[in-house]
Amino acid sequence: MNRGNHWISQIKRNYDLYLLLIPGLVFLAIFKYTPIYGLVIAFQDFNIFKGIGDSPWVGFKQFERLFASDEFGNIMTNTLLISLYKIVILFPIPIIIAILLNEVGRMWFKRTIQTIIYLPHFLSWVIIAGLFVNIMSPQTGIVNGIISYFGGEPINFFMDNSFFRSIIVATAGWKEAGWNAIIFIAAIAGLDPELYEASKLDGASRIQQVFTITLPGIASTIVLMLILRIGSVLEAGTEQILLLYNPTVYETGDVIGTYIYRMGLTSMEYSFSTAVGLFESVIGFILVIGGNALAKRVTGKSIW
Amino acid sequence: MKIKQSLSERVYIWLVYIILIGSAILCLFPFLNVLAKSLSSNWAIISGKVGLMPIAFTMENMIFVIRDQLFQKAFLVSIYVTVVGTLGSVLFTAVTAYPLSKKHLPGIKFILLLYIFTMLFNGGLVPSYLLIKNLNLMDNLGSLILPALINVFNMLLMKNYYESLPESLEESAKLDGASNLRIVFSIIIPISAPVFATISLFYAVAYWSNWFSPMLYLNDPALKPLQLYLRDIVLQASDENLLNQDIDSLLNLSPEGIRNATIIVSTIPILLVYPLLQKYFIKGILIGSVKG
Repeated sequence: MNRGNHWISQIKRNYDLYLLLIPGLVFLAIFKYTPIYGLVIAFQDFNIFKGIGDSPWVGFKQFERLFASDEFGNIMTNTLLISLYKIVILFPIPIIIAILLNEVGRMWFKRTIQTIIYLPHFLSWVIIAGLFVNIMSPQTGIVNGIISYFGGEPINFFMDNSFFRSIIVATAGWKEAGWNAIIFIAAIAGLDPELYEASKLDGASRIQQVFTITLPGIASTIVLMLILRIGSVLEAGTEQILLLYNPTVYETGDVIGTYIYRMGLTSMEYSFSTAVGLFESVIGFILVIGGNALAKRVTGKSIW
Repeated sequence: MKIKQSLSERVYIWLVYIILIGSAILCLFPFLNVLAKSLSSNWAIISGKVGLMPIAFTMENMIFVIRDQLFQKAFLVSIYVTVVGTLGSVLFTAVTAYPLSKKHLPGIKFILLLYIFTMLFNGGLVPSYLLIKNLNLMDNLGSLILPALINVFNMLLMKNYYESLPESLEESAKLDGASNLRIVFSIIIPISAPVFATISLFYAVAYWSNWFSPMLYLNDPALKPLQLYLRDIVLQASDENLLNQDIDSLLNLSPEGIRNATIIVSTIPILLVYPLLQKYFIKGILIGSVKG
């Protein structure tokens, strides 16, 4: 039997499994690939009444406009700074939490801590923005209450360009640091317990075990997560920033995602905004693909 | 020598516990502070002295929020979107993931790649917005559900779970003459409770928390889900419903207290559901992420 016949007989035997794929493929075509096709308007002067078919093609005009615009330098700087702060400061925290949780013997304690630190992940950005605007309010917030108690001047955190990025990083950390530990906890749980037993017999302390067993054991997971994270370096947290920023802090808080939103849906510059989005997507895509190839070479593992 | 080592060990363990407890307190603190404020009287809130315990305890803020008709409406819209959306998503995801777990079948790997590609590259804001417009889904709750029916990450979690099931299960059913569909619905789905609980929770939270899509696609005030309502009340400090109250009932009430109470009441559904599902989702993620 040749290969083609084998395929056909397999498809025939499992035709019902292939039927199950249809709803998903329809979804994929409409809601995922139609917008990807819609990216062509980045190369047009798109007019919503004319549609993609009749709008004039303009080549790279929108991209040239982006690179020449005054805002471009500012939004790139803000995006990269906020992302880099988030990576440098926030990426190690879940790893540390996972390692610390691994040191805890009491299951009930471990469970309780996990339940609590995963919780913020399940709150919406609107709620979190509300919580932090509240506790940092210059009039009634407890943070400024403490500052005044020690004789300081109340700070209007959300209107202050010197604090805005820190707030973005801190609130993102509050929301996701605990939750992001889950993947490292899973990786540690997959390590062979005999390794710990053996090194204990060799007289290794628990701190030494962290550096000789736990960390090397989860190193490949760490590298993979870091690469995935770096792939989204141009996504600095659009929804979060849209909810927390205001024109006073555009100077430090306006990022690519918020700029796309303002240009596209407030100023209705559909083609220009799509071009900015495409620029972001292409760079992100290259970073992930490149990073994955690098990870394969370094650790022998890859995301797919 | 041995005693010294065990001393440093003990210090280390103490540090571990202290850091973990500290992180947990940090996670709870903003929430507990706002809870305390929502249960405090107006003057206590304004004085800025409310910490973790309510001062001059009052339920009036809470009662005001729960009785407020705009809040109730927004709450019901959110419940509706969350329930319908989660049911639809779980069904679509479970049905799609099963054939994709049969990698040996022709074409499956390619289709899987079509899904994974959309995780790495997407149309972005404006093309998605124009799509919803062209589909006439503006001011329609479908705009919140249809584009979110399948989350590829959740789908892969489910697929990995199916792959981890022992093949003998399906083979014995096949020998008995059961069709593939029969196997999915009578064998696979019933033993997949942990991963179903996990992705149900993920979908429910995503639908419940979604602010961005309703902000883009809904203008009709009657369709406003909770997150949009919250944004108006909590962040833009629009207190139109507060202004409509008569003065007598406002003695203990304040915009600040109501804002705090609104945050707390909106979080309650998640606080109720999350601990119930937690024991499942840790298991579900562990199994589903074995292959990443």
